[in-house]
Amino acid sequence: MHIKDILFDWRLHLSAVVITVIAEAIGVIKVPIGIGAILLLPLLYAFVLGLLINPNVVRSAKVWIKDRDVSAASPMIVIAIMPFIAKFGTIIGPSMSTIIDAGPALILQELGNLATVVLAFPVAVLVLGMGRESIGACFSVAREPNIAIIADKYGLKSQEGAGVMGVYVIGTLFGTFIFAILASILATTGMFSIDALAMACGIGSGSMMAACSGALVSAVPEMKDQILALAGASNVLTYATGMYLCVFVALPVTEKLYDWLGRKDAPASAAGE
Amino acid sequence: MSDTQSFEDPTTEAKLGLGTHAAALIVVSIVALVGNTVATENTVPQGLLGLIVLWVICMVGLLLTEFVPFKLPSVAWISLVGIVATLPWTPGSAWVLDKVGHVNFLTLATPCLAYAGIAIAKREIEIAKTSGWKIAVVAVLVMTGTYVGSAIVAQMFL
Repeated sequence: MHIKDILFDWRLHLSAVVITVIAEAIGVIKVPIGIGAILLLPLLYAFVLGLLINPNVVRSAKVWIKDRDVSAASPMIVIAIMPFIAKFGTIIGPSMSTIIDAGPALILQELGNLATVVLAFPVAVLVLGMGRESIGACFSVAREPNIAIIADKYGLKSQEGAGVMGVYVIGTLFGTFIFAILASILATTGMFSIDALAMACGIGSGSMMAACSGALVSAVPEMKDQILALAGASNVLTYATGMYLCVFVALPVTEKLYDWLGRKDAPASAAGE
Repeated sequence: MSDTQSFEDPTTEAKLGLGTHAAALIVVSIVALVGNTVATENTVPQGLLGLIVLWVICMVGLLLTEFVPFKLPSVAWISLVGIVATLPWTPGSAWVLDKVGHVNFLTLATPCLAYAGIAIAKREIEIAKTSGWKIAVVAVLVMTGTYVGSAIVAQMFL
C-alpha cells in the first residue's frame, strides 16, 4: 500500500475526527450494577462507531468507507497510539518517587501475567477439550509480540497459531471493553487496593491500558496521577520484559502442562513412546 | 479444523520511514486537537502547543528505535523519552509538563480506537466466527487471568 494512500485518505481521517467528536461529546457514562459500576468511556464508543462505519461489519457502510480505507486504517492505529504513549511518559516522569516506592510490587506483578495460563489453560484443555491451539491461546494475552513468538516457533498456520490468532482477534474486538469492565468492577467493590489495580493495567497494549486506567480514574478521580503513573510504568515494564517472560517461562510452562493434561491423540510428534 | 486457514501476520508492520511517521503523526495530532478542544476547557493554541511537544517526544523515540542497536518496540522508546523529559531533575521538565498538561490523556486514545474500529478486516471477523465460542471463552479467561493475577501479586508486595 502506497504511503500517500494512507496519509491523504481524507475519508478515513475525517471519519476519525467525526467519531472522536461524537465520542467525546457523549462523555463518560456510569452504569451501576449490583456489585459495583461499569464505566463506559469515550474510547469505547469510538471503537463501536468505527465498527459501525466499517463495511466488513455493516455492509451498507461501503457507500462511505471503501476497502482501501479499511486497509489504510490499520497502520494508523500504531501511529495514533504514539502521542498517547508519549503523554503517558510525561505522567510517569514526575511521579518517579511513587514508582520507586512501589518498585518491588511493580516488578513482581509482571509475574501475574503468567496467570493467563493458570486460569485459562485448565479450562481450555479439561473443560472445553481443546487441542494444541490451547497452547497458543493461553500462554499470553496474545498481543503482537506474542504472535511473533508463536509465528517463529510453530508458524501461524499451525494449531498453536490458530489459538494465538483467535485470542488476538477477540482481544482486538472486545479487549478494551473487558479490561474497562474488570477494572471498574474491581475498583468499585474494594477487594483490591487501587494501586494494585493500576499496576495490573500494564498489559502491554496501549489501548487496553487506556481503557483500564481510564476506568480506574473515572472510578477514583482523586487518585488520578498515581493511577496513571503506576499503570504507565507497569505497561512500559511489560513492553520491555513481556517478550522474555513469554519465551523463557510462559511458553515452556504451557508446553509442559499440555504434556500432562492435553489430548494424547495430538498428531504433532506422535512417534516415540 | 482450522489447518487450511492462512493468516496474514499482523506483526509485520508496514515499513514506514521516519518522514512518513512524522507526517502521519501530524495527521493524528490534528484529529487529537479537535478531540481535545471538544472534550476539555483547553483552547486551540494551548492544545496545539501541547501536541507539538508530544510530537517531538514521539519523533525522538522513533529516532532511538531506528538507531539504537538493541531492539525495543517504538512505543517503549517513546514512553522512555516522555519519562526522561519530565523527570524532576531534568532541566526544562517544568516547561514540558506545563505544555503537555493542556492535552487530556484519555482523549488522545479516542482517535486510535476509532481507527481500530474502521481497521477490522473481513479476515478478522472470519477468524472470530470460525474459532467459535470456545476461543472466545478462553480469551475472556486469559484477559481476566492476567489482570486479576497481576493485581493479586501487586497487592501482596505493596
